[in-house]
Amino acid sequence: MEILHGYLLPCASAFLACLGFTFIFNVYGVGKLICCLGSSLGWLVYLLGGKSIFAAFLAAVAIGTYSEIMARVRRCPATSYLLIALLPLVPGGGVYYAMSYCVQGNRALFFDTLLNTVGIAAALAVGAMVASSLFRTLFPRLPRITRK
Amino acid sequence: MDYDKLLELSTELGYKLMSSGAEIYRVEESIYRLLRAYGLEEPQVFAIPNALIVSVTTPQGHPITRMRRIPGHGTDIELLERCNALCRRLCVQTPPLEEAQAQVDGLSGRTHVYRASQILLGHAIGTAFFAPLFGGGLRDVLCASLCGLTVGVCVLYGKKFMGSNAFFRTAICSAVGSLLALILVRLGVGADVDVVTISALMALVPGVALTNAMREIMAGDMISGLSRTAEALLTGTAIALGAGAGLAIGRIL
Repeated sequence: MEILHGYLLPCASAFLACLGFTFIFNVYGVGKLICCLGSSLGWLVYLLGGKSIFAAFLAAVAIGTYSEIMARVRRCPATSYLLIALLPLVPGGGVYYAMSYCVQGNRALFFDTLLNTVGIAAALAVGAMVASSLFRTLFPRLPRITRK
Repeated sequence: MDYDKLLELSTELGYKLMSSGAEIYRVEESIYRLLRAYGLEEPQVFAIPNALIVSVTTPQGHPITRMRRIPGHGTDIELLERCNALCRRLCVQTPPLEEAQAQVDGLSGRTHVYRASQILLGHAIGTAFFAPLFGGGLRDVLCASLCGLTVGVCVLYGKKFMGSNAFFRTAICSAVGSLLALILVRLGVGADVDVVTISALMALVPGVALTNAMREIMAGDMISGLSRTAEALLTGTAIALGAGAGLAIGRIL
């Protein structure tokens, strides 16, 4: 029961949220499923890591690795999977709460939230980058069948 | 070989790649490889988010250059994948230029595009299921879906009424979304105004710009990286401003 509510439902929710966004970014076919599974994976890692900045970093690494693997398998740009799978992790909530504290005039909480938001955004960006750079160095390209 | 046609071909492919939301290094590398595959020694390609310059020197030593401006664009993953696949194919097969040009021209027409109703459905589903991630219940899911749909309508059809200033447009969309969220919660439909607002505004959040910005910077394209970072920051500010205005109006009402 705890696993269901703690992990399964949020991951399913991330999956469906990304399914919506695949329509907006015009993803079609198998790519849809890959994007959505990536976002579930990312959110699972984020939850297991305890929803901290470091957890966001780990989640981004997981998504980055996953999308690079999928890109190699399908011979498609990794960006497509990365962009959408990262969406649930983007700190939209942080921006909103920071704004809300700012409007209320609560300066301490405003700066606290803002810094946390910037931290998460940076962690996501660096995590995804580290993953794909490492992956690109280790496995430059799958052997390709050349036709003449 | 007709180098004018080759230049036209590669610039058109680059233009399509750029307007589908590809990264700068992908555009530059694709055109470079394509021109190399057609036998040019040292083609020069330079791209920034809103311009693309391709210059080649013919074997007779005559330089020709083409520059194209890239208008503001969204992200179209399907077109990006098609362009990428076509570029790989052209590099391997190097068909005659007319045939290649026909294939490039045919790209936009043949790619799958979702209808407006499907995109709106996407907005509704996408925003709805963000609510549980932020700790919302079933009522919040319904409200977020409704607000997200409204924001989607504003995003899709708002361009005619709100001018072409992206900052202003985002702020208006955000204000509409947050105001509607506040009203729904006041009416007792939604439970938590914060959760509903955040979920509804997720479609506006510059997640794509932020991810792209970092990819550009890590790839070494500083100009593009910085301009996309600025774009992400500005969009974030616009969302915050709009939501702030929406909540303020809601409080007065």
